[in-house]
Amino acid sequence: MSYREKIAWLSLIAMAVAYGPYFMFVARGPGPWEPLPHLHPLGLFALVSIVRMLILGAGYLYLRLGSPREERPPLDERDRAIEHRSLSAAYYVLIAGMILVGCFMPFSSTGWTIVNAAIFWIVAAEVVHYSVVVASYRVQASS
Amino acid sequence: MMQGSISNRIRTLRFMNGEMSQAELGQRIGLTRQTIAAIEAGKYSPSLEAAFRIAQVFNVPLGEVFQWDVKATPLKAS
Repeated sequence: MSYREKIAWLSLIAMAVAYGPYFMFVARGPGPWEPLPHLHPLGLFALVSIVRMLILGAGYLYLRLGSPREERPPLDERDRAIEHRSLSAAYYVLIAGMILVGCFMPFSSTGWTIVNAAIFWIVAAEVVHYSVVVASYRVQASS
Repeated sequence: MMQGSISNRIRTLRFMNGEMSQAELGQRIGLTRQTIAAIEAGKYSPSLEAAFRIAQVFNVPLGEVFQWDVKATPLKAS
């Protein structure tokens, strides 16, 4: 498995671990923080973001120390093609999500529901991005 | 549209050039070992520039490295 594929897996795992529980939690609806409507959701999102950063930081460090320099070559044309393809796919997910959130949700939802929906589509676009990267490297792997 | 697929003789040419490794070939033309492996396996088609560079390393014409294998398509009755 190439270094870039490992990085893509790490990013997917970090997002699943951090944002999976977050979205499960916020999907249950408003909690006991009603008197302070913004404090708890903001705190929760900050915590989730810190957890993700910690996982990514530790993962990068582990992969970097475990991979000699020759296993971490600069991007070549295949890496750039994979990156281009994955970003294109993620862009369509993001634009569809933002149209939904920005044009339709204001008529039916308010506040943190809209904010969380926007965060969800950003995370979904990132998941698509890294999933396409992983799938592309898997398909093109010779063995 | 004509149907076909690209095949290559990189593995053979590497063997004929002192069992050159995929990593060494990749290093000489600015590609990673994994990309050379993917090209050899026919799972990635390189850019025209990379294809010319590969041919240059082996000092052979491009057509000796890559071949276009045309698939026979059944003729439609008119």
